[in-house]
Amino acid sequence: MTPSRRSFLMGAAALSAAVATPEMVRAAAALDAVAATKADWALATQDIEGDMPRQTMRLIHGRAPAGLQGALYRNGPAKFRRPGGSATHWFDGDGMMRAFRIQDGQATLEARFADTPKRRTETELGAVLTPGFGTRGDARARIGSNDDANAANTAVMVAGDQVWALWEAGSPLAMSASDLSTEGFVTLRDDLKGMPFQAHPRYAPEGSIWNVGLAGNRAVIWHLNPDRSLNDAQVVSLPRASYMHDFTATDRHVILVLQPWVFETHAMPVISGLAWRPEMGTQVLVLDKDDLSKRRLYDLPGFFHFHLGDAWAERDGTIRFDVAASGDPRFAVDGARVLVDGHGVVPGDPAKLALITLRPDGRADMTYSDVVGEFPKADPRRAGLKRSLTAHTSGETLGRPLPTGLAVHDWDSGRSNAFEFGVHQVVEEAVFVPKPGATAERDAWLVGPSVNLKDGRAELHVFDVARIEDGPVATWQADTALPAGFHGVWAG
Amino acid sequence: MKTVAAIAPILALAAVLAAAPAFAADLTVSFPSVAPQGQIMVAVFNSEANYDGEGPPAQVAMLDAAGGQTSVTFDGLPDGDYAVRAFHDLNGDGKMNTNPFGMPTERFAFSNNAVGNMGPASWERAKFAAAGAVVQSIDLK
Repeated sequence: MTPSRRSFLMGAAALSAAVATPEMVRAAAALDAVAATKADWALATQDIEGDMPRQTMRLIHGRAPAGLQGALYRNGPAKFRRPGGSATHWFDGDGMMRAFRIQDGQATLEARFADTPKRRTETELGAVLTPGFGTRGDARARIGSNDDANAANTAVMVAGDQVWALWEAGSPLAMSASDLSTEGFVTLRDDLKGMPFQAHPRYAPEGSIWNVGLAGNRAVIWHLNPDRSLNDAQVVSLPRASYMHDFTATDRHVILVLQPWVFETHAMPVISGLAWRPEMGTQVLVLDKDDLSKRRLYDLPGFFHFHLGDAWAERDGTIRFDVAASGDPRFAVDGARVLVDGHGVVPGDPAKLALITLRPDGRADMTYSDVVGEFPKADPRRAGLKRSLTAHTSGETLGRPLPTGLAVHDWDSGRSNAFEFGVHQVVEEAVFVPKPGATAERDAWLVGPSVNLKDGRAELHVFDVARIEDGPVATWQADTALPAGFHGVWAG
Repeated sequence: MKTVAAIAPILALAAVLAAAPAFAADLTVSFPSVAPQGQIMVAVFNSEANYDGEGPPAQVAMLDAAGGQTSVTFDGLPDGDYAVRAFHDLNGDGKMNTNPFGMPTERFAFSNNAVGNMGPASWERAKFAAAGAVVQSIDLK
């Protein structure tokens, strides 16, 4: 029974105290019929009922580029609905790790759920009842610690023979890189057990990893050695308690962008405690990696964002980075509910790429491009260093959610090149994979999947960064679809 | 988690405990899967108010986990409803250690292996009736 039908019947019963009449039943059925009219993109948020064993994907276009060997690990929610209650927000489905492996010109795909306490409890009780980012949850939830609510559904990083499923408010969940079986939550040091480790670690040029975790107006700044052991973790105070999904870094700085979507009450789900205060503007806090107590604060007009690009510092101290920015958090509050409903209109304008510049004299400015884009990714050889290119998803339009293309934007020339699949594809984040032995920024591939809505199948595409407008150089297709995921990482 | 952390000061007040009446229930609390390290702090409560931190536990015990002790029996409890809070004091400092954001870093559990909802397990989830010989087998998580 859908919520609309249930509330209709409950409302009617409360008004009349009568037994349901045939008219009431017909009206309720009509509401159900509306709910059953799924949008053409609804496959992108479908439920997956179980793990997907490894299958060989079929090459349906082009040829596998010579020298492209490795695995694309991707994470994303894949189970939203249960008979006794459902997630009502895109960010609250159970995490499912995907592995697209490319070897000797062949591609395979497998996917496995993160075996979390949340998923175990909800499977046992037949209901999604754990509160989350936008899902209210209910009194049956079993949450003794934050990791009991960990959906492990947002992103992934490679750690030796493991991949770590990342969420926003809890520990990384270690899974085997070879078969994606769950091994357990990662504690980087005993006294830091359960500290949040967010979903967008930043890789420094020398191979170490920086990350953040938030609790109100405090953040833990993580620094991991290249082998993923802990180098350091320090707690810093922040000028405000903003919602922050991502941060960025140069080779010398950690950069926290504090948007005016601020925690005003302690409440669950998370979004119910947040208030949009654009008049507060956006603050950018820059910390010196060598001494986190050295900080500078910049002010910008208020904007909303989830994702930032890698930052770089120039000789004179100027810092630049890009952002997928939009006017307000309506997508995060309402749009993501529409996605799980599988029908309806997503409010708000799609995000556009903008370049933020922090100047040595303390001024900051933000220049919007006219490019619609999300899921920005850049050359890993240049992480934290000067670069020109941002690869990103494209093609979102007002009123229709989810991207339909991929594009590369050049910040130096202002030129954008794009490939548009059309509305029969939901295009996911693509990662930047350097060509073996090459150093130029354009000497790279983009590797990323899509949901082919027409065929009802998952696809994996490889693009040449230098010629993205020509379309994929290779496309493989699986024999079934997976829902759209969030973030991935390439292991070469 | 505040009330879990509060076990430590309550244990320090254990000297105020009266001797239990010499009849009725024998409660055994065991931790079969505990690692042989540190000590296990156990507090038994006989009312919801005290369980929620408003008063002292009816009984307390400190198990020498490092020395292999994994269970304790509280003899002669009056028949009634009880609930247990326990944590594994790995480093033996007598405290429930927390991370910098205040979340417990040492394993803890409640009777019935009950799990809370954004906090300690409620009395409603953790309580059990004690009469005669009762065993609570608890996994510290």
